Amino acid sequence: MSKPILRATDVVVEFTGLRALDGVSLALAPGEIVGLIGPNGSGKTTLINAITGQVRLAGGSITLGDRTISGLKPRDIALLGLARSFQIVRLFNEMTVVENVQAAALAHGAGTRAARATALRLLHELGLDARADELGASLSYGDKRRVEIARALAADPAFLLLDEPAAGMNDAETEALLHTLAALPAQRGLGLLIIDHDMGLMMRLCHRLQVLAFGKTIAAGSADEVRRHPAVIEAYLGSEAAHA
Amino acid sequence: MNRHLLTAVLLSGLVVLLVVATEALGVRVFDRIATNLCVSLVLVIGLQIFMGNSGILSFAHIGFMGVGAYVSALLTIPAQMKGMALPDLYPILQGIQVSPYLAIALAGVAAAVVAAVMSYPLMRLSDAAAVITSFALLVVLHTVMTNWSNVTNGPRTLFGVPKATDLLLAAGVAVAAIVGAVAFKESRTGLLLRASRDDEVAAAALGAHIPHLRWRAFIVAAFFAGVGGALWGHFVTSFSPNAFYLHQTFVILGMLVIGGANTVTGAVVGAFLVTGAFESLRSVEARLNDLKLFNDQVVGLTEIVLALAMIAVLILRPGGLFPSREIGAVLARAFANKKKGAA
Ligand SMILES: Nc1ncnc2c1ncn2[C@@H]1O[C@H](COP(=O)(O)OP(=O)(O)OP(=O)(O)O)[C@@H](O)[C@H]1O
Ligand SMILES: [Mg+2]
Repeated sequence: MSKPILRATDVVVEFTGLRALDGVSLALAPGEIVGLIGPNGSGKTTLINAITGQVRLAGGSITLGDRTISGLKPRDIALLGLARSFQIVRLFNEMTVVENVQAAALAHGAGTRAARATALRLLHELGLDARADELGASLSYGDKRRVEIARALAADPAFLLLDEPAAGMNDAETEALLHTLAALPAQRGLGLLIIDHDMGLMMRLCHRLQVLAFGKTIAAGSADEVRRHPAVIEAYLGSEAAHA
Repeated sequence: MNRHLLTAVLLSGLVVLLVVATEALGVRVFDRIATNLCVSLVLVIGLQIFMGNSGILSFAHIGFMGVGAYVSALLTIPAQMKGMALPDLYPILQGIQVSPYLAIALAGVAAAVVAAVMSYPLMRLSDAAAVITSFALLVVLHTVMTNWSNVTNGPRTLFGVPKATDLLLAAGVAVAAIVGAVAFKESRTGLLLRASRDDEVAAAALGAHIPHLRWRAFIVAAFFAGVGGALWGHFVTSFSPNAFYLHQTFVILGMLVIGGANTVTGAVVGAFLVTGAFESLRSVEARLNDLKLFNDQVVGLTEIVLALAMIAVLILRPGGLFPSREIGAVLARAFANKKKGAA
């Protein structure tokens, strides 16, 4: 049996007086890397929040294989194999880095020893060995982001949703991250959804891109197709013109 | 040595030192102070188990101390004395009399059961709502203790509790509490609960069942509160419901906040410091009153100083003296750094 696909269908999310998502659909298969791009406020983070149960849907549905997961609590969705990182980093600040990562493995049923071993291995993979004993709060911004990724991986997820993982990293760090992330689907068979504003990173990393603007999908396809799409050029130029 | 083990050994060592020093001095007053300190340790460490790991301030703790004290009293007051001590006692309970040691353990279990039943619905709440409901819980427990005359003698003092707690017993239980709290903190429940303390959203996104984790900690905390209450009851031998209310809550909270709620080390250090300060101030108070410098008696110095100390700590060092790392980890890191420096 093949692994199930994570699917969002016609998702609508409303905040008071604002339609943050207006009928967005997206599919993520195991082993694939999908990039979600779009101007600020276009609804990218909200889509991840909708998938992981942090915000309520006003319409549409989220399914994992033939199981509907929209309406479940974040914790139950997590236990079905969805892990995420946060745009505004959310580490456990008063705990050590290794405990931060250990927590994820524990939540998914590992024993304390096994969880610790998993955590140390992942910290090593992400080049964080030297930080293992530091408190979450004391890390640099780039390290915090890497710990969040290690923590998400410790849950051994089927799908990993990363919200701007490269934000605040320098070029060398971003390059290292690119290689780590690119290897994940083959290594672990997971499906990866990434939001980032770094177009260079996204073009090289993602198998497919989907572009949001004002809560709607305006383009989807390969990096080249998306780059040339008139609506995308319009959205980005438009937003830049609006910012100027 | 494993740093958690080191923490447990060092903190227990402090208790052992207290016992040895007290026995060596052989002064009765010190014996009383040291025993009270050990009982406080059990209570503060119990509170740390819930508050430190969940990050939720609980006012209910001392209510469970009361539950423990009354349960143990009921189980141990000799049958012939019960008629006098508790004139309205239910006939079924009149004949019951077990050993104080068994009673102290059962008192812990009873407090834990009461906590389990009362608190589950509250464990979904966070922040101010959680704090206020814990206060409501304290008021409920206090009201029951003052009004259920059949088993508590109402607001009046309950006499005739057999003396069973000495320094050695109290110190032994304090050491057990230290070991229990360190083990709980490092357990799966403890670690995930600390994660939820630091970030509820992120912990839930990992799959942590936060209300359940909190509930477990609350039950374990109530167990130690119950045991602490029973120990205290068998030390002072007579008490009324007011012993388990705001004053005691304030003292125990003060110890924990000053030491640092997030660590067992903080709980232990806070209990030692506050007890030391209290006893010194009390003797100052007595001296001042002996000297008759003032027309009226000097009273309440201890409470005011504790309040000021709490305010000072919260302003200068909000996490307390040991805000995030246990003593074992502090020493292990210092040692590792020194080795690195030498190499
Ligand atoms: N909890 C919330 N309450 C009210 N409005 C919200 C909330 N979360 C998001 N929004 C609004 O929804 C819209 C989409 O926000 P979202 O965070 O999904 O954008 P984004 O594409 O992730 O933007 P960015 O690139 O800046 O991170 C924005 O207008 C935002 O202000
Ligand atoms: Mg965003």
